[in-house]
Parts: sequence; C-alpha cells; structure tokens
Amino acid sequence: MILAISPKPAAAAGLGEMTFDNKIESMKKAGVGPVIFSHTTHENTIKCAECHPDIFIEKRGANDMSMKKNMDGEHCGACHDSTVAFPMYQCSKCHTQVGAAK
Amino acid sequence: MKPTTYKYLIFLFCVTAIVAFTTTWQIKEAQAAGAKPTLDPSDPKSSLYLDSRGKLAGTGSSSKPVSEAFKAGQGWHPQALQSEGLPKDRYGLVDWAKLVNDGSIEPLHSLDEDEDELPPLDVDVVIHSKGDYVKDVKYPHQIHTYWLSCENCHPAIFEMGAGANPISMVEIAEGKWCGRCHGKVAFPLADCNRCHTIPKKAKR
Repeated sequence: MILAISPKPAAAAGLGEMTFDNKIESMKKAGVGPVIFSHTTHENTIKCAECHPDIFIEKRGANDMSMKKNMDGEHCGACHDSTVAFPMYQCSKCHTQVGAAK
Repeated sequence: MKPTTYKYLIFLFCVTAIVAFTTTWQIKEAQAAGAKPTLDPSDPKSSLYLDSRGKLAGTGSSSKPVSEAFKAGQGWHPQALQSEGLPKDRYGLVDWAKLVNDGSIEPLHSLDEDEDELPPLDVDVVIHSKGDYVKDVKYPHQIHTYWLSCENCHPAIFEMGAGANPISMVEIAEGKWCGRCHGKVAFPLADCNRCHTIPKKAKR
C-alpha cells in the first residue's frame, strides 16, 4: 500500500536507449542513420544535473539538436569535443548505418 | 709535554676535522644539486638554454636568441620555443599557421639553397557538407602550399578537379583524404569549426 502511493523517485533512472531521428532527411544526405543515444551509459558515468536542464531540456522534442549546434559546443558538443568525451568525427560511435548510403 | 700542549693539539685536530667534514659535505651537496637538470627558463644555467652540442648558450631571457645555431641563422632551439608565448589551439597544440600568418616565424622554403621557391597558391576551394546543417568547408590552398609542395597531395591523395574526390567525414576519420595529415601531423579532426567555417544559407 505504501509502495503504491509513494511518488516516483526524483531521478528518472533507467531511461534506456533513445532514438534521435528528427533530422533524418539531412542524415540520409550525409550518409548516416539515426542516433541511438544510450541514456543508461550516460547515467552510469555522469549526474543528471550535469546535462539537465542547462544542456538538454527534459522533454522529448524540446531540444532542436543538429550537428552544426553540436560542433558549436551545444548539446552533445558540450562534452564530445575530445577534451571531456570522445570527439564527434567518430561518426559511428553515435550514428547507426554509417556509410550505408552514399 | 705540558698538559696545555696536549689540549692545544686536541683542539687543533678537532678544528681540522670539522673544516674537512664541512668541505666534503658542501662538495657532496653541490654535486647533488648539479646532477639535477634545472628547467627554469629564468635561470641562465637552465638546460633549456643549452644548444644541440650541449654548450651553454642561453642569455636567461626567453625573448632573446638562445643558441649558436640561431646566431648562424638556423632558427630557434625547439625546447626554448616551448617557453615562448606561442599561440595554442584549444587542445594546447601550437598554431603554426597563425605564427606564419602573423609573420612571427619565417622558415626557409627548402634545406637545399639551390632549390627555387614556388610561391603559395592562393586559391580557396569550398567543399560542401552533405547534410543540411553542418557548415561547409573552406579549404585554403594558401597555407597548405606554404608548407607543402603540390606532389604531397596531388594526385595520390586528391585527384585534381572540382568534384573529382568523393570526400566523406567517415573516410577522413578512417585516415583518408584530410585525415592523412590532420589528426597526425596537422591539427586534430576534433576541432570541427576550424575547417567547417561557412554556414549553410538555408538552415542555421
């Protein structure tokens, strides 16, 4: 009974994998597939507040991400610039189907 | 002998022993200090300011010529260069292109004095990015031909002719095209916006 009425923990842990494909037309032109973002991997290494809400708003579709913005140091690019996390030229570390369509 | 003479001799012996011990200790200290290489640029005896033959060459000021090689017109000592206020990129690597463009360094065009100098080719090539968002690349022939001769890249790495090369970022990351040098002997690929400089007009 107590378990049933207690609210969910503040940290929404265990989001698993998220697919980023709202720029799929541009991705196809560039010869890459959607990004499979592992929320779990990030949860394991960094704290929620390091990304939310400053870098990513916690709402699906609320973050208009693009590779241009990433390269300007926004969104994923805030860390993935080879100083904090692996650099962005390693396409296949995030994008699926890299090099499939040319 | 009188007892006072004995006392005097013992006193003399003690003084000699103390002086000898102190001197030995000082020499050992000096040797220990001398064995350590000093790396302080403000120290004129710093090993940074030895020339390639191991001779003391420095003046103690990092803004002054540091070696006999420099006086002979052979350039700067590489280690002394490190203590200079060289322009660095965000990864702490020396921005050699900026040094050349600012006129801070003027390297010889060739080790062979008889070789003719070919002036740099001042032609920019726009390489369009394939997606709708990533900025296009402005490739400057100028700085590349300043360092390199045409044959370093053409035709082995890049065919000559617009659109003749199916360049892709995936292949560059695999070490082809620009990746033959960038990330190895030239600035790293992680520095995206150093090449991707022209924003797409349609979408920002």
